[in-house]
Amino acid sequence: MNGTLALAGAEIRRLRRNRRYLIFTVGLPVLLYLAVGKQNATSYGVAFKAFYMVAMATFGALSGAFNNNVIRISQERKDGWIRQLRLTPLPANSYVVAKLIASMVTSVPAIALVFILGSAYGGVNMPLWRWIVIAVAIWFGTFIFAALAVAIGYRFNPDSVQPIALVVFFAFSIFGGLWFPLSGGMQDFAKFTPTYQVVRISTDVLGSGTVNAAYVIGIVAWFAIFLGLAVLAVRSTAESM
Amino acid sequence: MTTGYGAPIVTFDNVSKHYGALKAVDGLSLELRGGETVALLGPNGAGKSTSLDMLLALRKPTAGKITMFGQDPYHAVKSGRVGAMLQSGGLMPEVTVRELVTLVAGFHPRPVAVDITMRRAGIAEIADQRVDKLSGGQTQRVRFALAIIGESELIVLDEPTTAMDVETRRLFWANMKAEAAEGRTVLFATHYLEEADHAADRILVINRGRLLADGTPDEIKERAGARRLAFRLPAVDEAFLLRLPGLVNLEVRGDFVQLQVTDSDAALYAVLDAGYRPHEIEVASLGLEQAFIAITSQDDADAAGEPAKEMI
Repeated sequence: MNGTLALAGAEIRRLRRNRRYLIFTVGLPVLLYLAVGKQNATSYGVAFKAFYMVAMATFGALSGAFNNNVIRISQERKDGWIRQLRLTPLPANSYVVAKLIASMVTSVPAIALVFILGSAYGGVNMPLWRWIVIAVAIWFGTFIFAALAVAIGYRFNPDSVQPIALVVFFAFSIFGGLWFPLSGGMQDFAKFTPTYQVVRISTDVLGSGTVNAAYVIGIVAWFAIFLGLAVLAVRSTAESM
Repeated sequence: MTTGYGAPIVTFDNVSKHYGALKAVDGLSLELRGGETVALLGPNGAGKSTSLDMLLALRKPTAGKITMFGQDPYHAVKSGRVGAMLQSGGLMPEVTVRELVTLVAGFHPRPVAVDITMRRAGIAEIADQRVDKLSGGQTQRVRFALAIIGESELIVLDEPTTAMDVETRRLFWANMKAEAAEGRTVLFATHYLEEADHAADRILVINRGRLLADGTPDEIKERAGARRLAFRLPAVDEAFLLRLPGLVNLEVRGDFVQLQVTDSDAALYAVLDAGYRPHEIEVASLGLEQAFIAITSQDDADAAGEPAKEMI
């Protein structure tokens, strides 16, 4: 396990030096919240500024766990870094485990900064336990997105992974209602996306305090599906790298 | 068979790897003994890389069994007893050379000190450079450092010097000799015959996934008829020449005769004993290159001669 943690540590160090990570994963949600967050409206039964805080934190988690991983994994598989690791005494699954651990850590700054903005700038106010429950729900989201990144990154070459990653990212952002709240037919469809489910669990906690069980089942199901796809992708490509 | 080395540490027992109809490795059996430096020599597509990949648990044999240090390959690699450098081994970008070497050292149960390894691999002066900013030769040295960072008993190298400039290559083989002198076993694949000849105690020639020859560089040369005997002889009797002892290849152009033989002395005496008096006699040792070509082309000819068996 020490080796895996060391690898996760190295992953985190590299990301910290990466300008794209700082701009898109940390900077963008913060800027969007500053630009759009303060509106007098109600979304999903809570104030817009509270909804948008949750949405931007989830956006940061998606960007941190999915965008930062998917292309790197594909590239590192092609370059042979994963193969190189397989020649070391590090256990076979360490690469993926380290990516998951690193994703959980690297999504924290975006979530924390947006939460601080929500509280200090947006005036979002709630008991501490609710902050914690929301943070955990969004944090669980990073697992889902990281598992999906592994499934796609292992399966496709860097050339084809770029457009696929873009489509997935935009679909989950827009149809998950991260950029603007959804209603009507869009919302009926959005209910099935993990991003929407994470956001709604959070707004339910913020608002009524009772969470719709369907959303919880939803994110657990998505996690199981993506994890299964990730395991399949890793296994089926083991001989071809 | 080379003697004087330790017990077998690697065994291939009738190992095959098939991709559909393609037999990349076809019933390969071999043994490596502790302390040997062994070259796996073969043309491109002979099955060298596939064999090493299977040894390192990157691929699974279709049939047969590989044992390393009495374990299956995966557990042997994970026990840290093997260091390896393959043809395609990317490095983690966005970290410095020192960070990377330190990281990988941490994976090993018995790591060598990072500074010592970096000096041995000739990367001490680029320790603070970023891995993704290195030249091809520098990258290769870093990969070599990763292969020797553990106190491994076996070092496996797949065409290690392919991307190296001359200086790096010289440094590399000096290092490898030092590693071998410490009692490590070295197995390397190459199609550079010179390298096999200079660096290896023992050469395994493989072609089309099968082992064709196994011996010291001298034995391999001998086996292939690695001496060239040439002379001029008017009114030459070809039927007689074809019966010469140890004949591998015969070429006659007018009165010029060129023979490839395993024992040039015996062949020459036979010619003289038969009463012939050839002139302009030349005897030359053929390099490993000709030996290698002789062995593999003979094998390819054999294969072409019996297509029915191979096609189905």
